[in-house]
Amino acid sequence: MSIIDAHTHPVMFKRGLTRPEVDRLVKHGRTLGVRWMVGLGDVLLYGRNFTAEQIVEVNDDSAKVQAMYPDYFRFFCFLNPRLGEKAVMGEVERCVDKYGFIGIKLEICNNARDACMKPVMEAARRWKLVVLQHSWSQTNIRQRSFHTDPADTATLARRHPDVPIIMAHLTGCGVRGVLEVKELDNVTVDTSGGLADEGLLEYAVEHLGANRIIHGSDLPGRSIGVSIQRVLGSRLSVSEKERILFSNAARLLNLG
Amino acid sequence: MLFDVNCYLGAWPFSLVPEMNAEQLARHLDRAGVDCAAVSPLGAVFQPEPMPANRALFAALRGKRRFIPLPVVNPALANWKEQLEECAAAPGVRAVRLYPNYHDYRLTRRTLLPFVDALEHHRLRLVITARIEDERHRYFALRIKGVPVADLTAFLKANPRTVPLVTGLSVTEAIQLASGTENFLADISYQENIELAAMLRGKLSSSRLMFGTLTPLVSAAAQSGKLCAPDFSAAERRRIASTNAVRFFSGPHADRR
Repeated sequence: MSIIDAHTHPVMFKRGLTRPEVDRLVKHGRTLGVRWMVGLGDVLLYGRNFTAEQIVEVNDDSAKVQAMYPDYFRFFCFLNPRLGEKAVMGEVERCVDKYGFIGIKLEICNNARDACMKPVMEAARRWKLVVLQHSWSQTNIRQRSFHTDPADTATLARRHPDVPIIMAHLTGCGVRGVLEVKELDNVTVDTSGGLADEGLLEYAVEHLGANRIIHGSDLPGRSIGVSIQRVLGSRLSVSEKERILFSNAARLLNLG
Repeated sequence: MLFDVNCYLGAWPFSLVPEMNAEQLARHLDRAGVDCAAVSPLGAVFQPEPMPANRALFAALRGKRRFIPLPVVNPALANWKEQLEECAAAPGVRAVRLYPNYHDYRLTRRTLLPFVDALEHHRLRLVITARIEDERHRYFALRIKGVPVADLTAFLKANPRTVPLVTGLSVTEAIQLASGTENFLADISYQENIELAAMLRGKLSSSRLMFGTLTPLVSAAAQSGKLCAPDFSAAERRRIASTNAVRFFSGPHADRR
């Protein structure tokens, strides 16, 4: 079964940029059946207050990895929405035109319900990009001023129903997160984040349908072997597993 | 062979996972390729005294050779000696488990010294639960943190001849603990990274690591994927998957220093 890993960080804190490191990662992914790896950038390199120059540096690093294996990696453009419309639009245009990036990645620079998200979503609309929003239940973490709860991702999706959104981290969002986005057809959920809670994937399929879930590992902090086995070892049907591991992401991200 | 050292029977009140009996647990582990498991009672986490849950565990596992009962003792209760004696007398018991954070005591308390002596007297091994749930995802009203590395360090230094298995440590915590003490083993139920082997190498030898799933709370199949991490040699995988666990649970104090 071919697999797409739709949530990876091949470069993390500047590790993973060298040719031998990239070779090793690709070899490992291919050994486990990963056909495409979707990279999201070195999104914690400078904390949560990235300058425009630092954003460019992260996206350029992503492009370097993509250039080494153009038939294996696709990257999302990492943004800091707080830098404003001009910076956001300029960086998206640069990353799409120069590197062919296929989506927008948002981490913890701000909460997804903040007003600064408007130009980000406009950029996604203009360049027909998918937006991947880091999302994690804030029930216990309590960082909601800058850290997005699944309820905030749902607010974002409700405001922009024409923009496809990936709510990252099924485990971090949990049962409540699944229910927050249940009625929002423009939201897909990726399977990454934390230990693979027993039964949560099946719960997500029951409430969202298998077509709205895509496989992601969140490597390097997590492992591809675990994320794949979470799907393959679930009680889902072969067809549902295949959609989660490959077809849904292939369709959403135009990956053949 | 895959040996799960961090497996449970019973219900967890904050989970949608249905409670399994021993037969259902066996089938569940079969699907994940897990051959045998040390099983503790989840009921002992929240009940005021662990023995009713332990007795239910002994009854459920009786005659099931793939399971090793791993009962729970609460050394903060006045009857800890009776708990320990009853557990030691139960068939198949090789070790007992502690839940310090759920049972509201610290590993630094003085009464643990006679408890450790009693373990030796009964020729039982010790398993310490650093955490069960990820603190980020736990039930909002259950504000229980993992056992501090400082407390584990103090316990290990105060009991240098005891080599407990500590379950639920993160990679960072395991490495931190290993930097100050050598007399512990760890499971990998909370340890995950695509570079796990490289991170641990030189800090925590594969001879001190064991496979654990946190079944039924976490997908056993997913946990088995950790052994696919690159850079683990075949010998390291074997040690983590089963060899170390078999040694730990087979003979009394085989690895005592």
